[in-house]
Amino acid sequence: MSEKDLLEVKELCKYFPVRGGLFKRVVGHVRAVDQVSFTVRKGETFGLVGESGCGKSTTGRTLLRLLKPTEGRVLFEGEDVARLSRMRLRKLRRDMQMVFQDPYASLNPTMTVGQLLEEPMKIHGMYGNRERKRMVEELMDTVGLDTGYAQRYPHEFSGGQRQRIGIARALALRPKLIIADEPVSALDVSIQSQVLNLMEDLQAQFSLTYIFISHDLSVVKHIAERIGVMYLGRMAEIAPKKKLYTCPAHPYTEALLSAVPVPNPSLKRERIVLQGDTPSPANPPQGCPFHIRCPKVFDRCRGERPELLQIGEDHYVACHLYDKESRSKVV
Amino acid sequence: MNRLTEMTALLHIRNLKTYFFGDDGTVPAVDGIDFSIGKGETLALVGESGCGKSLTSLSVMGLVPGTGRIVEGEVLLEGENLVEKTEEELSRIRGNEISMIFQEPMTSLNPVLTVGEQIMEGLLLHQRLSRQAARERAVQMLKLVGFPRAEAIMDEYPHQLSGGMRQRAMIAMAVACNPRLLIADEPTTALDVTIQAQILDLMRDVKEKLSTSILLITHDLGVVAEMAERVVVMYAGKVVEEAEVQDLFDQPAHPYTEGLIRSVPSLDEEKERLYSIEGNVPSPDRLPKGCPFAPRCSEAWEKCLQKEPELMEIGHGRRVRCFLYDPEEGGSR
Repeated sequence: MSEKDLLEVKELCKYFPVRGGLFKRVVGHVRAVDQVSFTVRKGETFGLVGESGCGKSTTGRTLLRLLKPTEGRVLFEGEDVARLSRMRLRKLRRDMQMVFQDPYASLNPTMTVGQLLEEPMKIHGMYGNRERKRMVEELMDTVGLDTGYAQRYPHEFSGGQRQRIGIARALALRPKLIIADEPVSALDVSIQSQVLNLMEDLQAQFSLTYIFISHDLSVVKHIAERIGVMYLGRMAEIAPKKKLYTCPAHPYTEALLSAVPVPNPSLKRERIVLQGDTPSPANPPQGCPFHIRCPKVFDRCRGERPELLQIGEDHYVACHLYDKESRSKVV
Repeated sequence: MNRLTEMTALLHIRNLKTYFFGDDGTVPAVDGIDFSIGKGETLALVGESGCGKSLTSLSVMGLVPGTGRIVEGEVLLEGENLVEKTEEELSRIRGNEISMIFQEPMTSLNPVLTVGEQIMEGLLLHQRLSRQAARERAVQMLKLVGFPRAEAIMDEYPHQLSGGMRQRAMIAMAVACNPRLLIADEPTTALDVTIQAQILDLMRDVKEKLSTSILLITHDLGVVAEMAERVVVMYAGKVVEEAEVQDLFDQPAHPYTEGLIRSVPSLDEEKERLYSIEGNVPSPDRLPKGCPFAPRCSEAWEKCLQKEPELMEIGHGRRVRCFLYDPEEGGSR
């Protein structure tokens, strides 16, 4: 793990048991996250994209150990989150916070905004009583909420304001890393840009590191510096933004990008329309998980699972097309 | 294209007002909407949540929910006013001449009927086909929407299909009776990007083959740019702008439209910082005085806070509701 890395994820797996039969025995596993590795550098925004069921949210939750990883390591400043004791974990969670998609579902409706923002500081025994109240006001101010609203309840706010509360709550403990899971997906277009701008401002102000999980490739392109593309629980490609959006290496990334509707009617693009649906992660295909929909599939893809290969500076891809061994066979 | 005349238009909506009557007073959710859809045209109705775009489509179908009621206006389908029709007459039109596809196919399909039975229902009811003929037509429709094993899908239940397949089945159902107008309310919002691409392709294909007009309701400007020929932008229950799709994106006239277009991050350009419209979408029961967009508008002046602008023609088939285009009120554009 190098100096500039904040988080290193090594071969992370999260399997959920599938039970069935008379005695509810474990009959199989859903491999929601399967051998995922990546690093997140201090101060950057790492985007995690993919379609529903690809494991991006499960990855986010497993990093915080809201879900216990089945295998693999999550090194946060050198400490393995996956193996920490309860006490140590609680301390570490101060440094890692989460922002959820639906702020309404993640805020206790019986608490006022003031109480909601004070709660994390109380739990972690930070500051004195009066100091905390002052901090609450400061937080509300930071995220652009009127401090006079501290006595109001979540239902009295609009969606965008609620997401500001969610962000303020994550900020309360002065974390180093914020994992934001689809933070703007439930918001209207005009509100979405307000929240994205706020997140960028806060990142600069508090030198935060973000993991930004989203299905929206345009939003991720705007906010992230490096991006990981997931498919069926596995990492398909990791690349710096520029490379990923100008010359995607993985056929899935290529298809995904070409499928995004662009708000520009004069732009006529070549579109790769993938056939079929994403298979279930409970029963993933043999070999490369993408091979049944891949327009560039060849024999090796059906039998052998591709490893994540480095193909350029900071550019990794899990595809046999880039493996010299098989390339010589194909061409 | 010039404004549609009675002859070329399929649907005319004139001064349509749908209000909700609650305990706390009247909410003007749709407040005087005017627009037309040409034969074989795709018109997009765009706006953010609560702007009344979905309620407009439900009003066209005569399906206004709850305490809502159409209080004024006309919905003319080739000259026939649907607002004046009885429930019985409407049910002969719905699913036959006008049909609708919804955002969430699972909640709008009947879970206890097979896909085949649901597609056949309309054919038996409206077209009075025999069961045999209806079944054949249903299979044909399923093939049209891209099911290779259409015969097998006929006997499957909605829960056995994936999200994208359900949306295909719903499109098959909607177009089975060869409707003149297809209303698609956020048809791809619940779908993944790669599946969305499939469904949009399919809708274009179906439109071409059956020459159906489409009223596409969406909040996604990307989808608008790809599908629509003309666009109507709504804000707080009113039309604020209408334009051909190219004109709208090239040179949005209303400050709201401009703000919307500028605030979306896009794959084809790099923006250092996103433009953002100040404030929140107003709730339809607490609309500000004057132009409802004025409190959020960067161009607003005193006039805008006092008086509400009318929808004005500004040439090239464009209409806009903004004082900027009215020299008499001090507009400068």
